[in-house]
Amino acid sequence: MMTGGQSFVSSPPTFSNDGKKLLVCTGFTVSIFSTSTGMKIVELEGGHTDCVTSVIVLPVAMSSSKLMSYCWTSSLDGTICYWDFDSAELINKVNVQLPIHSMVIPNISATGTDKKASNHYAFVSVEDVNISADENKALRGKIQIFNLTNSHRVGGLLAETRNPELLSVSKNGEFLGITNKRKLHIWKIPAKDFRFDEIKKIKLHHTKNLTSLAFHPNMRMLAGGDVTGRILIWIGFGRRKFARNSQIDNGVKDATDDENPGVRGGDDAASCSTWHWHSSAVKFLFFSSDGAYLYSGGKEGVIVVWQLDTGKKKFKPRLGSPLVYFTESPDPSLSCVSCANNRIHILKMPTMEITNSIAGIKLPFPFTVEHKGYRTRVAYEQTNGLVAVLTEDYCVQFYSLFDNHEVSEVQVCKRNFQPVDDVMLYVALVAISDDGSLMGTIDVKLPEESLGELISLKFWMRGSRMAEYSLSTIIYEPHSDAGVSCLAFRPGHGMAVTTSFGGEFKAWVHGSHFKATDQLIQRTGWRCQSVGSYKGKPLSAAAFSADGSVLAIAAETVITLWEPDTNILVAVIGDTHSPITELSFIGKSEYLVSLTHGSKPQLAVWRTSKLGLFWSYKLFAEALSSSRDESQFAVLVLINSPYETNVNEDGVILLFDVENPVPVATWMVKKAKGGSLAFLHANPSFHESEATDGEKPTLLVYVNGDHEYIIFDPHSKDNITCKNTQKSHLNLEEAGRFGYASLYGDLSKSNLKQALVPEITFVPSEKPWETIFSGSSHVLPPLTKLCTTFLASLLEKRPNIDD
Amino acid sequence: MSTGLPNVRDILTAFSPSSDFFAISSGDGRIKIWDAIKGQLQTEFSDFAPSDSSSLLPEPKRGHLSLDYTCMKWVQLERKKKRKTSSSLLVLGTGSGDVLALDVSAGELRWKVNDCHPGGVTAVSYSVFHRCLYTTGADGMVCQIDASTGSMKGRCRSFTKSVSSMAISADGKILAAAAGRLKTFSCSDNKKLEKFSGHPVAVRCMIFSEDGQFILSSGVGERHVAIWKVGGGKKKSASCNLSMDHPAILLDSKKIDNDEKNGEGLAVLAISEIGVCYFWCGNSIEDLHKSQPTRISIFTESKKNLELAIYAAKLLDIPKPSSGQLFVAFGSLVKPSFQKLLVQCGSDIKLDDTKGGVLLPIGSFSISQKGQTIDMKGTVTTLDRANAEDAILPIPKLYAHDKKRKHIMTKSSVDIEKTRADPIGNKTKPQPLDRNVILQRMEDEDTICIEDKLRAAGIVAEKDDPTVESHSTSATSTTLDLYSGGKISVDANISSKKVRAQVSSMSSIDAFKLLEVLISVWKKRSQNSNHILPWIYYILVNHGHFIMSQESSARMLDGLHKMIRLRCSAIGPLLKLSGRFRLIMTQIDKSGNKASSDEHHGGGKAINDDNDDEFDDEDDDTEDEDIDELVYGEDESGSDEDDQDRT
Repeated sequence: MMTGGQSFVSSPPTFSNDGKKLLVCTGFTVSIFSTSTGMKIVELEGGHTDCVTSVIVLPVAMSSSKLMSYCWTSSLDGTICYWDFDSAELINKVNVQLPIHSMVIPNISATGTDKKASNHYAFVSVEDVNISADENKALRGKIQIFNLTNSHRVGGLLAETRNPELLSVSKNGEFLGITNKRKLHIWKIPAKDFRFDEIKKIKLHHTKNLTSLAFHPNMRMLAGGDVTGRILIWIGFGRRKFARNSQIDNGVKDATDDENPGVRGGDDAASCSTWHWHSSAVKFLFFSSDGAYLYSGGKEGVIVVWQLDTGKKKFKPRLGSPLVYFTESPDPSLSCVSCANNRIHILKMPTMEITNSIAGIKLPFPFTVEHKGYRTRVAYEQTNGLVAVLTEDYCVQFYSLFDNHEVSEVQVCKRNFQPVDDVMLYVALVAISDDGSLMGTIDVKLPEESLGELISLKFWMRGSRMAEYSLSTIIYEPHSDAGVSCLAFRPGHGMAVTTSFGGEFKAWVHGSHFKATDQLIQRTGWRCQSVGSYKGKPLSAAAFSADGSVLAIAAETVITLWEPDTNILVAVIGDTHSPITELSFIGKSEYLVSLTHGSKPQLAVWRTSKLGLFWSYKLFAEALSSSRDESQFAVLVLINSPYETNVNEDGVILLFDVENPVPVATWMVKKAKGGSLAFLHANPSFHESEATDGEKPTLLVYVNGDHEYIIFDPHSKDNITCKNTQKSHLNLEEAGRFGYASLYGDLSKSNLKQALVPEITFVPSEKPWETIFSGSSHVLPPLTKLCTTFLASLLEKRPNIDD
Repeated sequence: MSTGLPNVRDILTAFSPSSDFFAISSGDGRIKIWDAIKGQLQTEFSDFAPSDSSSLLPEPKRGHLSLDYTCMKWVQLERKKKRKTSSSLLVLGTGSGDVLALDVSAGELRWKVNDCHPGGVTAVSYSVFHRCLYTTGADGMVCQIDASTGSMKGRCRSFTKSVSSMAISADGKILAAAAGRLKTFSCSDNKKLEKFSGHPVAVRCMIFSEDGQFILSSGVGERHVAIWKVGGGKKKSASCNLSMDHPAILLDSKKIDNDEKNGEGLAVLAISEIGVCYFWCGNSIEDLHKSQPTRISIFTESKKNLELAIYAAKLLDIPKPSSGQLFVAFGSLVKPSFQKLLVQCGSDIKLDDTKGGVLLPIGSFSISQKGQTIDMKGTVTTLDRANAEDAILPIPKLYAHDKKRKHIMTKSSVDIEKTRADPIGNKTKPQPLDRNVILQRMEDEDTICIEDKLRAAGIVAEKDDPTVESHSTSATSTTLDLYSGGKISVDANISSKKVRAQVSSMSSIDAFKLLEVLISVWKKRSQNSNHILPWIYYILVNHGHFIMSQESSARMLDGLHKMIRLRCSAIGPLLKLSGRFRLIMTQIDKSGNKASSDEHHGGGKAINDDNDDEFDDEDDDTEDEDIDELVYGEDESGSDEDDQDRT
């Protein structure tokens, strides 16, 4: 069992005290990277069972001879852990019970080592899972205080918000703040003797939703960024309320109220000024440790350095991706910036030169344009155990699943990616042949005012090295104006098939052919071998059988089987309730499995020898993968049940044996939307090379919607709860499966009988009277009855008319 | 290094334990760490500051050139405990006798032992069993160093002179050191176990086999790898020699899992000084001795001084007894490439290093050389929207089209059936399932006509009338236009008087030519025979004598006659079949008596020899043809009109 593909940019990273290490939240663990080499040193694992959301390193005390290397981490599993990150050991664990989205320990800097274990108070932003999100105006975000020394909760709630917010704290731990829609909530934390009663609160208002917040390290100044890209600087906030420490507010207003420039609606601040450079939401704000500069960044991928004194700006452009977080190290010459493409750049500070980068798997990007068809954005290279993911900057990234490491990146479109630009182009589809020697991509240039849409299909050949592909053929508009729905390679042959929503499919072959124009130039490339269609119906999926002898193409609700070499329609199998979205042959068997979405989702297994349905379930399956050797397949099913209490686990992986509609094994998984499955054969990892001398087990890989993945042996009976995707290996007897199966009902038995009907209806589809019989099969009487009479009528009627 | 052959001797290489990183030092004191999966430079060390700055005084930085590395080894400290983050150290020995341990992932110096071996460290090896490092050097001592702390645990003297190579067995029991001779020691008490003599020179590289049964060694300048059996009793000479073309600089071996019959299968890998990798494998030592090496080299097509070589290789796995999976680092020193290879014994491999890097000259030289051989790798085929036009297979008929065609065909076949039921009737059987066959049949139906029958009978053959080929439809019309003075076209419904006037005004030669054209047209059926026949008739009437006098006319007339007769015979049976048809015939008879008698009268001279049969029948038949044409050739006349409109 292996996990990987973690996001490095889900939470802000933290530097160690000497600035040589960077603690990054990577999924369920904290990975520690060296800032000088960018390589991973150690991983803090075993403490958390859900995503780690924040890391706080204990600051160094001057008196200590050795560097302290302790940190607190909070996680969505509702625990706070205390680690020695040098030796990667878990020391203490505090249970909070609610998922922690953010944690700060304000007075952590005030404690020395001599004052042994003086109380640390953690302010945690938790999500109250007991309150359903569907409730109107439900306040799910809560800010609570915990005493980390004795693991007790202190006082009441500090605040309640709609959603859990990210906490910010000033460097000296005096102030704590959150953004809450158009307001900033600022609390003053008593520095010395912490008492809950002494926490005071002010609000600062703005006209736009605020997205980020930062405190000045030594002045009473704070900066807030809003969704439109404005940065507001409040100076002297809370002078009135926070200044009168331990005095009862007598309610007398200061005379200076009117003179506060820029301050809105009686907010407690001396002045407020607005800076504007960003064109979209400000993602991070950060004051430099000396307080002279303010760093800001957002979607533009540019770090803006504001000189507070003069307001002059300096820029660090061309980071190539939207920025998410910025952190400075105790060492003033180092800082790091987290980019949305799962990359952390370590910057050498005054010059902001990138010295190192820590990169992971590219994260899924949202399609700005709604389009059907291109659902799977992940392809698998079976031979080397690679996953190919589409990236926002027009690339295909190859990521080694076993090594948890990027292998290469293939740029599909020669364009520079600018995060602020409107999306004009995207790579929509990638497919890799079974042996990994061929890759096909489809990129779509979006139309401007409904003009100039261009779909291009590209075929790539692998070079000598692993995952090194060079472009072989570009085909512009492979299906004229219609979108391409699927691309499939034929196993063992240099052939590929594209299907389009326009109702035709094309078989492409690779080979050298002579172009007899002026001179004989030998061209090795792809060209169209044949074109086919079925009744002009939009074709949505294609699959080749394991030996490549049969091509199955889904034409809306029916599956058509073709001879790929001669392009002859062999048979038609039908029909489903709604259009088929995915199709696959199961191993080397005669069975086909299809997925349909829509109002009546269906998972159906078809038998090609009988041309009929074998069994089916009414399931909404997101992904499908069939094993190449065995007659097994796995589907990823989305649970959209309102009765499901566990919100986290929204998917189930079901492993089926084709002969039996009862699943062989089930696993509950998280973030199943947008996930995908694949069977991997070999284990080409260097680590495992000795371990798998004998037969190489078939492994199942599940890549979830956030591109995190887990590889496991579907046949192993060990009941391991996996760390990363949090799956419990449920036995068949367990309630999880049956509760869920009983919800939809087991359709398999009734379908076995139904299977006969479409078989008869659709076999003689070649007959000339077919068009006349267009209509649902259940409406029409069986053809066996109709055939003779209709034929007779055809033969007799004509002479009568002619006479 | 301007010498032709790349020199790999001075290069120190090491793979990380998990093979995902590769350290290389090319003698200038820099250590480059390459990411072997991605093929990119991960980091570079030039000089080191100690990690624990508080404990040690900052050392004077002497610059990277002062560090003269002599040996390098990447050792894994913890064995598979936590697989992913197991700490590993890159241990380096310097020419000044220091031993350094680098924590590569943290990028810092873990420890350093100063002046461990005065005169220089020559070999480092690591024992997993003892968790300590063994170093040896020019002073002939072997030092035992704790790998995690760098503290000296022991020293002992192995040789009086400089030790050139050292290895330790996997179980940590035996240590082998070699200067000229090869000695083995027990690790526990440092006692000498065995002595092997046979290397006259200093041993450059030496390893133990996995099971500790054999020692593989190769000396400086020796062109072979010697395999020594450990504990082999009296026989102290090498049990096996594997010959190479150049001296070896790096060795690796892996045990082959047999079925315990032969027991000691071994796969050996060596890299020679010029960067060629050798691979032997055998199921036993004797087998190995007999085996021929499989060479893995870099394919260089030009004679340029490109320092392309294989720098390091590692045996990953022996999937089958006669093959091995290697991980090799090769290419240029500036940018090595990494590749996993499956080597089959006996099949040499040429590694193709086409792209050295984007900015390196290696990529460009291949293009500049030889204009003829166009590198097809770089070219990209582009297809535009009309990509399906040159599809190899015909585009299958869409169903909608098929429907239309089928309806047309059924209609026409019914028509044909009506008129002549017999020959066509059996063709319109229920159509079979296969679509291809349907299409085939349809074609048959399409072409079933008199002409085909004529063709089958050999009457209308290409050789019979050259005019068929020479005159296209448009040509016919132009000749007609020419003869008729451009005023009268053959197609038009011209009254017979006008035709007669026209024909009689022609000269006999012109008329003969026109006749030729007309007959060919009629055979070709490109014109409506309804219009052609009067012309033929009048020409024959008016210019019969001249035509008969022409030599070529005999064959032409003969063909004409045969055609008429065949049409008669084809239509003859039909007359008996349909009562309705007879009705029509009698009507035609009435109207057509005059014309037929005329024709018979005119054309009789030409053809009267042959048709001694019933005159009536023939007359009927000729007329009948006309009607038949009317029914049958509608499309053609329409298309001809189109043609003429165009011309």
